[in-house]
Amino acid sequence: MIETTPAVGWYVFGIVPSDAAPAPGTSLVERGPLAAVAAEVSLAEFGEDVLPERLNDRAWLEEKVRVHEAVLQSFVGATPVVPLRFGAIYHDVDDVRRLLAERGERFEAVLERVTGRSEVGVKAWFDPAQVTRPAAGTGREYLQRRSKELSSARDATAVASEAHARLAAAADAAVVNRPQPRELTGRDEQMLLNGAYLVWDGDDRFATEVAHLAEEHAAAGITFELTGPWPPYNFAEDDA
Amino acid sequence: MTALAEQVTLVELVDRVLHKGVVIAGDVTLSVAGVDLVYLGLRVLLASVASLEEEW
Repeated sequence: MIETTPAVGWYVFGIVPSDAAPAPGTSLVERGPLAAVAAEVSLAEFGEDVLPERLNDRAWLEEKVRVHEAVLQSFVGATPVVPLRFGAIYHDVDDVRRLLAERGERFEAVLERVTGRSEVGVKAWFDPAQVTRPAAGTGREYLQRRSKELSSARDATAVASEAHARLAAAADAAVVNRPQPRELTGRDEQMLLNGAYLVWDGDDRFATEVAHLAEEHAAAGITFELTGPWPPYNFAEDDA
Repeated sequence: MTALAEQVTLVELVDRVLHKGVVIAGDVTLSVAGVDLVYLGLRVLLASVASLEEEW
């Protein structure tokens, strides 16, 4: 039997207002005020029979994850976007329009919520080797004691939750994710905080708060790392 | 950029692109959203991220 169906599907990256400019390499599938940012993909690559195997191919996965991010990133600071999770693939354009029809209200609510805002990530790291000796020179003992204190789970949690609360107060919305373990980060420092914040574009308060935290905790061996702006991955659900 | 830095960046991306964003379940033709990453056998990287989420 000869296979006559063209083996392609429509990969949907995210949802934008229909007046947005499409990202390079994608087209907009419009319906009413909304548009899906979509691209045709080969089912030889993304079909459900081959996908599980593909996902185990680190090089393939990395390439596709980077494409997904690059497409959504192109809207940051320009157009609000609702990021979809990696791998939403439809057989044809009508299916994509049906998605817009069925979920339109929810997409519009999220778009409204993220308009004029971007996601930024903040990670706090603890490195015992960076604990500063106090000026009075009580020296080694103090350093060891302080290191021990901070490496205890309770203090790490306290620093993380205080920092998160202050950052959340300077943001429009906030999500705290579990800190990544060392085997994932590949770093010697311990991750204390892994937060995501929805911040108004052009608002300095958040960056100022990060700088204050960094200054206050530097002597304790804690550094703060800011990433982004990101598409609002952590704020894409309308119930969040 | 060092290999280590690249890995950190990939972890950061995987954390968002594969674990956040709107999940389209049910009406989507094909989706990895429903695939439990624990069972994908992606050695260190994804297995760790996935089991992390479960604990959390």
